[in-house]
Amino acid sequence: MPRARINNSIRRLRFDHNEMTQEELASRVGCTRQTIIALEQGKYVPSIELAFKIARAFGVTLEEVFQYEE
Amino acid sequence: MTISQKTAWAQLGIFGALVISWVVLFSIKGTVFYWQDDAMKMTFYWFCAAAFAALVVMNVVATILKSRLNAVTDERDRSIFRKASLWATGTSYTVVVALLLVLAITYMDSGSETIPVYFPLFIVIVGGVTLTLTQAITALLLYGRKVNHAES
Repeated sequence: MPRARINNSIRRLRFDHNEMTQEELASRVGCTRQTIIALEQGKYVPSIELAFKIARAFGVTLEEVFQYEE
Repeated sequence: MTISQKTAWAQLGIFGALVISWVVLFSIKGTVFYWQDDAMKMTFYWFCAAAFAALVVMNVVATILKSRLNAVTDERDRSIFRKASLWATGTSYTVVVALLLVLAITYMDSGSETIPVYFPLFIVIVGGVTLTLTQAITALLLYGRKVNHAES
């Protein structure tokens, strides 16, 4: 069974929020900058908790940040 | 590079050096029965003790850094560490069981009912080294892997 892919718009959202740095986003959601880099490169699929924290950091809904593709 | 990644590289460096030192030691002496030569036996044990002491020191330093600095590790590091530990435990367990079986069969075939006391100690050391090396290699592979899932 092919694995579902979860894409995200973190890079665009950072840009839309006054070009928020990866470091700043990381410190707001309580993770490392390396995790933000891995997320933007599609190399990491976060936990539900971290996904919600990221959405709240941008003030948007979860689905505006993460898109689920089957 | 996160502190966990650096720790994995250091772990690989320490135990990679230990394995290389074993190869050099055994190739100089030309025998696997290292305990038959007192100097070689002590060198072998000192190398092992130094590697495990370095591992302890490294982990203490890493723990202090993690507690003092803010958000130096997160769920991705923990997820990778958990997966790497599972792989390492399985691999070292398999290696230890395989070595014990080979040892028992070899001695049974030769008609002996006694095994030199050095063999079990050697197998424990090999098990520990396998555990540490597999954990470091798996963690580094997972950090470079295409996609990691937090909840799988």
